[in-house]
Amino acid sequence: MTKGTSYIPKLVLTLGLALLLAVEGFFAWQLHTLSGRQEQIKSDYSDVNNITLGLLSVDQWKDKVAGIVNHQVKHFKLSPKEKKELQVEVEQVIYALIAKAEALVNKPQKSLGDKIKKLAVKTFVNTDKIKAQVPGFAKSILAKVDNPKQKAQLSNLAMTKFNEARHSGSLDSTRNANEALMDKMFRKYGVSSTDELNRKLGSLLSSIRTEMFHYCFGMLGCILAVLALWWFLRKRTDLHGVLFILSLLFAFVLLAVGLTASMIEVDCRIKSLDFVLLGEHAVFKDQVLFYESKSILGVVKVLFSQSGADSIAVGALILCFSILFPVTKLLSTGIHLLSKRKVAENRFIKFFAFQSGKWSMADVIVIAILMTYIGLNGLLDVQLASLNIKSDELTLITTNNTALQPGYIIFISFVLYGLILSTILKAITPYDAH
Amino acid sequence: MRTNIANILLITGLSILLAGAIYFGYEIHKLAKQQQEIKQDYSLTNSVSFGLFSVDEWRDRISEVLDDQINGYSITPDQKQQMLASVEKALHGVIAKTIASIDKPQKSIGGKLKKMAFHALVDSASIQEQVKPFAKTIVQKVTSPSSQARLKNIASSKINQLENQTYDNTSEAKEKIAKYAYRKYNVNDEAAFDKTIHSRLAVIWDQTIRYAIYMLACVLAALALWWLMRKQVQLQTPLFVMSLLFAGVLLVVGLTAPVIEVDARIRSVNFLLLGEKVTFQNQVLFFQSKSIWGIITTLLNQQKPDAIAVGILVLLFIVILPFIRLVAKGLHMFTEKNRVVNYIAFEAGKWDMADVMIVGMLMTFIGLNGILKSQLANLNIHNDVLTTSTVNYTSLQPGFFIFAGYVIFEAALSYILKRISPEKAVKPRK
Repeated sequence: MTKGTSYIPKLVLTLGLALLLAVEGFFAWQLHTLSGRQEQIKSDYSDVNNITLGLLSVDQWKDKVAGIVNHQVKHFKLSPKEKKELQVEVEQVIYALIAKAEALVNKPQKSLGDKIKKLAVKTFVNTDKIKAQVPGFAKSILAKVDNPKQKAQLSNLAMTKFNEARHSGSLDSTRNANEALMDKMFRKYGVSSTDELNRKLGSLLSSIRTEMFHYCFGMLGCILAVLALWWFLRKRTDLHGVLFILSLLFAFVLLAVGLTASMIEVDCRIKSLDFVLLGEHAVFKDQVLFYESKSILGVVKVLFSQSGADSIAVGALILCFSILFPVTKLLSTGIHLLSKRKVAENRFIKFFAFQSGKWSMADVIVIAILMTYIGLNGLLDVQLASLNIKSDELTLITTNNTALQPGYIIFISFVLYGLILSTILKAITPYDAH
Repeated sequence: MRTNIANILLITGLSILLAGAIYFGYEIHKLAKQQQEIKQDYSLTNSVSFGLFSVDEWRDRISEVLDDQINGYSITPDQKQQMLASVEKALHGVIAKTIASIDKPQKSIGGKLKKMAFHALVDSASIQEQVKPFAKTIVQKVTSPSSQARLKNIASSKINQLENQTYDNTSEAKEKIAKYAYRKYNVNDEAAFDKTIHSRLAVIWDQTIRYAIYMLACVLAALALWWLMRKQVQLQTPLFVMSLLFAGVLLVVGLTAPVIEVDARIRSVNFLLLGEKVTFQNQVLFFQSKSIWGIITTLLNQQKPDAIAVGILVLLFIVILPFIRLVAKGLHMFTEKNRVVNYIAFEAGKWDMADVMIVGMLMTFIGLNGILKSQLANLNIHNDVLTTSTVNYTSLQPGFFIFAGYVIFEAALSYILKRISPEKAVKPRK
C-alpha cells in the first residue's frame, strides 16, 4: 500500500469522526445543562412542598384551629345527661347556702334590733318557697352558661389569643422566612399561587425530561454510529489505529457526562395525612421530607462527609471505580496501541486496558441496588393491598418518586462501550493481550 | 477396567455430596424465604404508620393520661384555701355592687323609703362579715366527695366527646392487620406475637447457619477430593464436571436467598405528658430484604424503560452469563476445538460480573449502613421531656455469603481448568 492512497481515507475518517464528536459534545453539553436545570427545579419544587411549609407550618394550621375553636367553643353543647348533673350540682350549692342563711337567722339574737330583724325575716321570708324555686334558679344559671352570645364572645377571645401567639417572636420570624421563600419562588416562575406553581413546575419538568431523553439518545446514537463504523471498516486494518484513538475521545465525553450529570434522585415524602382533629378534618398531601439529586461525584461527597471510616472507604472505592479506573483504562488502551512492545506488554498497562473495564460496573450495581432498596419501596403498599386496606388513607412514608436519571444511563453506556473497545483492541492489537 | 471402577466410585461419592449440597441449599433457600416473610409481617404490624404516625394511637395514649388525671384528681387543702379566697372575693364584690346600687341617689319616694328601710335593717359591715361562713359553705359543698365525683363524670364525658371527634383511618387497618397476623402465627395478643416471632427467627437463624456450614463443607469435600486425585489424570474430567454442578448449586442458592436486609427502627419514644409517661415502642421506619433475583425482578417490573434496561443488563451479566459459562466449561471438557465454547469458557470472563456484584453489594451495604446510622443518630434525643432511641438492624444475609462462595469456587475452577488443559486455555495467536 502506498502512502498516497492511505492518506486520504484517514483524513476523511478523521474529519467525519471529528464532526460526529462535535455533535456528541454538543449533546453532552445540552444534557449537562438540562440536568442542572432539572435539579434546580426539582429542589425548588421540594422546597415549596416541604413539610415545614405544610404540616409543620403555623399558617396552614390557622384555618384548622379556627375551625376547631368554632366547633368546640361556639358550638359547645352539654349533653342532657351532663346538663342534669350540673343542675344537681348547682342546686346542691344553692340549697346549702339557704340552709346556712337560715341557720344564721335562727341564731339566738341579743340586741333588740337583731331580734326585730329576725322577726321580720321570719314573717316575710318563707324558706320553703325559696327552696321550691331553686331548680328554676339553677336552670337559668345553666342557660346563661349555654348562651350563644357568650360562646361567640369566648370563641373570639380564643382566636385573639391564638393570633397573638402567632405574631409572637420565633413563630413570626419563621413565617416571614416562609413568606419570603414563597414570594421568591412566585416571582421566579411568574405565578401567583402554590397550585399554579406546582402545575408550572410539573410541566417544566416533564418537558425537560423528554428533551433530556432526546439528547441522551442522540449521544447513544453517536456511539452506535462509531461502533457501526468499526463493523464497516473491520477489513481496513490501516485505519484501525486512527479510528481507535478517535473512539477513545468519544468514551471520554461519555465519561465526563456520566460523572457530572445527576444519576439518581431520592425523594422521600409523606403521601398523605388525613385525620379529624377535634371535629376538624385536616388533610395534608405530598409532604416532602427529603429530596436529593446526586451525580456519582455527589454520592462520593456524601459518603466522604460521613464520620465512619467504612463510609469513607466506600466513597474511595466508588471514586476509584468511577474515575481512576476508567481514566487509567482509556489512557492504557491508547498507550497499549501506540507504544512499543515493551511498554505495551507492561502488566499494569495490560491489566487496565483489558481487565479493569468491568469493575466500573460496580458503581452501576451499587446505584441499581440502592434504587431497588430505597426507590421502589412498594413492600408496604403490596402488603396492605393484599389485606384489602386502602393505603391512601394511611400516613405512609414513600420514596416511590425516586428515579434514575440520564447520567446513570450515560455512565452504563460508557462502561459497556469501554468493554467493547477493549474487546476491539484485543482483536486489533499487534501485541500479546493476555 | 480399574479406571472404570474408580470412575464409578468417584461419581457415586460426589453424587452423594452433591445431593447433600442440593438438599442443604434447598433448605437454606426455604429458611431464607420464611425468615423474609416473618420479618415482613413483623415490620408490617409494627410499622410506624400504625404507631407514631397514627392519630388514633396518639388519641388513645393521651386520653389514657387524661382519664388517669381526672380520676386521680382530688382537691388539696392548698387548693381549697385558694378557692375559698377567690369565692370570698367574688361575694364581697357582689355585696359591694348591690349596696352601691341601693345607695344611688333615689328620686321616687318609694325608692327613698326603700333606701331608708334598707339602711335601718341592714348593716353592710355585718353582711360583709357573714361572707366568710357563706364562702366556706360553698367551697365545702363543691369539694365534697359526691360533688367531686359528679364533676369528674362531667369532665370525662366531655373528654370522651372530644376523643370521638378526633380520629384517622389507622385503627381499622391496624385491626385487620393484627387479625391476619395473629391468625397466621396462631397467637392471641401482641406480646405472644412478639414472642413467637422472636423464637421462630432465632430457630431459623440457627438452622440457616448450620445448613450453610454443611453446604460449604460438601463443596470443600469436593475440592479436597480434587486435591487427593490431582495425580489421577483420567479422573479429572468427571471430577471437573461434578464440581461445575456444585458451582451451579451455589449460584442458584446465592441468587435466590436474601442478600441485604435493611431494617431501621425507632426502638422507643418516651415523653412526659402532665407528669405521666407516654411511650411508643418498636416503630419500624423502613424494612427491605431482597435476594439478587428479587432485585432483578423489581427492576424488570418497573414502568420506566431505564430501570428495565438496567434490570436486563444485571440479569445478563450476573445470572445468564455465569450459567452459560459453567455449561461452556463443562462442554469444553468434551469438545476439542470449538471456538464459541472456548471463547465463552475463557475470554468471556471480562463480561461475567458475579465478582463485581459481590464488591458492589458489599459497597452498597457499607454505604447504606453508614448513611442510615448517621441519619438515625440524628433522631436520638435525650432530654428531660423527650427520650428517643433508634436502632439500625441492617445486615448482610446468607445469600451474600453463598454468592461469595460461588465466586471464589468459580475462580478456583477457572484456575484448575487452565491447569488441566493448558494447551487449550490460551488461544493460539495468529
